Amino acid sequence: MQEKKQNIMKNDVKGTTTAAAVISLLVAAVVFSGLLSGAHGWSSAFDFVTLSGTFGTIKEGTTFVGSDGTGVKAGFLLALSLVPSVMLAMGVVSVVEHTGGLKVAQRLLTPILRPVFGLPGNVSLALIASLQSTDAGAGMTKTLYDEGLITDKERTIFAQFQFSGCGAINNYLSIGSMVFANIIVPMILPLVVIVALKIFAANMTRLIINKFYPEDV
Amino acid sequence: MEKAKMNIIDMFVKGARNGWNIAINSLLPNVILAFTLIKILQVTGIMNLIGLLCAPVMGLFGLPGQAITVNMTALLSQGGAVGVLAGLLSSGSLNAREATILLPAVFASGGVLQNIGRVLGTAGVNTKHYGVVLCMTILNGILAMMIMSVLSKFF
Repeated sequence: MQEKKQNIMKNDVKGTTTAAAVISLLVAAVVFSGLLSGAHGWSSAFDFVTLSGTFGTIKEGTTFVGSDGTGVKAGFLLALSLVPSVMLAMGVVSVVEHTGGLKVAQRLLTPILRPVFGLPGNVSLALIASLQSTDAGAGMTKTLYDEGLITDKERTIFAQFQFSGCGAINNYLSIGSMVFANIIVPMILPLVVIVALKIFAANMTRLIINKFYPEDV
Repeated sequence: MEKAKMNIIDMFVKGARNGWNIAINSLLPNVILAFTLIKILQVTGIMNLIGLLCAPVMGLFGLPGQAITVNMTALLSQGGAVGVLAGLLSSGSLNAREATILLPAVFASGGVLQNIGRVLGTAGVNTKHYGVVLCMTILNGILAMMIMSVLSKFF
């Protein structure tokens, strides 16, 4: 152990100096120096105070985020203002998940997988999982292939479905909620578009692979 | 076992706690990154340049040129891209209609670079099919903006 540690330290000291390391140090030195405070124009991008920005001011008609905030401070308050909606959305999703609502969806899905995607019914569990979590979906897809339940070609079609709009439901409801208050269509509509495009892409990939990689059929 | 014991209140609270973790550990840092990038692009004047250069292309979808920064960020991270979207909204560079057009595109072609590993790599997809999957995903982002630019006219 001790020897290993010493080796690591030796490597650290000897380690080659990359250009990126030198540049990042120089940039950090400029940013934290305060030399450019009060600078105008492009050079103010390297000033810590400029990047930090200002909190908005609370006036009548604004929330605690305030108006006319700039930079990172404005972003921080904006992000804080989003926390309640993310918690609410994830709370509702959790109830659906734990009461078995998703199992119903999975059962409904099984018979239509073959006509809609050309995929066997046994991918329905992985398909539902992939709408919630990118990593869970991909992991289960590997298992399906390893167990011989889907072919190499079916794996690509299924992966295509997962790839575009990955983890669609959870990602859209959590990340998307940042701008839900601002969009002009019902909040479900963009999600419908995302899922429809996933199905479209899977089928296009199915056609393309059948046409250009016939040896895999 | 654990599932059987949970009542609806536990379920909701567990999900809400998960929501807190997502918001604080994943959204907030992404928003900070996005606002830093936007600020740099704005004060250096690069944002204006991007706006001018990309105006013809983004105009096809009813969007100003600056909107492309959202699409570019989306290739790296969905959270970052929605952060940029929120930033451009709050600075008035995008209006509500334009944000509506952009939102589904962020997801339809979002996180492409990391998903090569997370989806294609993990699932073990045949590498000769990678090109098809990547092209279809980028196309999906473009289609999402086209569909939304039409749909948003009805609201």
